[in-house]
Amino acid sequence: MSSEIALIGRIAPVLAEGLYMTLELSVLAIVLSALWAIPVVLTLISPRRPLALVARAYIEVVRNTPVLVQMYFIFFGSSILGYRLTGFVAGLIALTLQNGAYIAEIYRAGIQSVSQRQTESGLAIGLTPREAFWVIVFPQALRKVVPSLANQGVVIIKDTSLVATLSVAELTFEARLLVDRTAAVYEIFLTLALLYMVITGVFSGLMRLVERRLRIVQ
Amino acid sequence: MDLLIASLPLLGGGVWITLQLAVLAAIVATVLGLTIAFAQLFGGLVLRIVAEAYLYIARGVPLLVLLFAMYYALPYAGIMVEPMSGGVLVIGFYFAAFMADVFRGAMLAVAQGQWEAGRAIGLRTPTILVDIVLPQALRVAGPPYVNTLIMLVKGTSLVSVIGLSDVTFVGRQIIERTLAPFEIFGAVAAVYFVICFALSRCGAYLERRASFVH
Repeated sequence: MSSEIALIGRIAPVLAEGLYMTLELSVLAIVLSALWAIPVVLTLISPRRPLALVARAYIEVVRNTPVLVQMYFIFFGSSILGYRLTGFVAGLIALTLQNGAYIAEIYRAGIQSVSQRQTESGLAIGLTPREAFWVIVFPQALRKVVPSLANQGVVIIKDTSLVATLSVAELTFEARLLVDRTAAVYEIFLTLALLYMVITGVFSGLMRLVERRLRIVQ
Repeated sequence: MDLLIASLPLLGGGVWITLQLAVLAAIVATVLGLTIAFAQLFGGLVLRIVAEAYLYIARGVPLLVLLFAMYYALPYAGIMVEPMSGGVLVIGFYFAAFMADVFRGAMLAVAQGQWEAGRAIGLRTPTILVDIVLPQALRVAGPPYVNTLIMLVKGTSLVSVIGLSDVTFVGRQIIERTLAPFEIFGAVAAVYFVICFALSRCGAYLERRASFVH
């Protein structure tokens, strides 16, 4: 019993640090992806054809290549260029680029699902097309896509584990370190899996609350 | 350019591992995903609970953690798994959960009236399932199935972390010696892009085909 308590005493502080790093990276990656996706979707649906094609090409490239390879590309590439990024920053950029592309598609689906008449009514009461989009269409689109955004958020949280390969001391990295040090393989991996389930579970729960608050009653 | 040509044999070997891994894991994921979907739809209480628990774990735990767990925990329990089979199994099991969602969603998308109509003309449940519901469900399942396959192909890159020499692993090895990350990881990314883009075109084709139904 006392050895188990000693074990918990050894692993808890290390995992707690890793957990903090994972949470920090998750929050940043989710917020930045959701923000980065806005200019992407605006370019994607822009009436200027060449611009829209650029956005389309970007989305196809990042969606059809693994985020891990993108992380390596950015991490090792940045050091060759002489602007050596930390693993955390390289991971954050890769996660944002990848998930921003997915979220841009989610936004696009949301924007297209808002009835054309909403824009027309806006124009009829004297809004400019730009105002009609920002005041009427985009907020409704956002409310409609909360469930898809929540799913993407879970993907992001799980994918933060990949920065462990760039030696960022987040949850998965610390757990692996502890396994090497303590040989308590089952206990540590079980704890690790449970921690991720709790994080994604809490996040999904919060997003369901948001969804309920923002649901548009038809 | 010379570097890329010199690296071709190594990268080619990695591509071969990646392809093997992707195809085998896709088969595991599809078969298991169908099984889980059926367990959820037609199984008794126990089967349904098992299926739900399985989905809950796969949705909440990162693939990398599952791979590490396999890599470290199984040998510890005295079970020796070859990295290749281990990788296929873990990736197959992980994406089976997403496949199950695809198949279950497609089955539920077939109108309840189709079942009732089948029963009304005296068909038995297996016949209705095979001749009426499944053909329609497969059409609906096509595009999301392909999307899941793309995620699976991208997911195979994680085995590089447990020492399987797939194309990502080979790329990282070459980098350590040559310090040319843009060329090498560009080439590695291109390999995935070719596979996944071809798949996504198939998905788009299936989507156009399926949309004629309604």
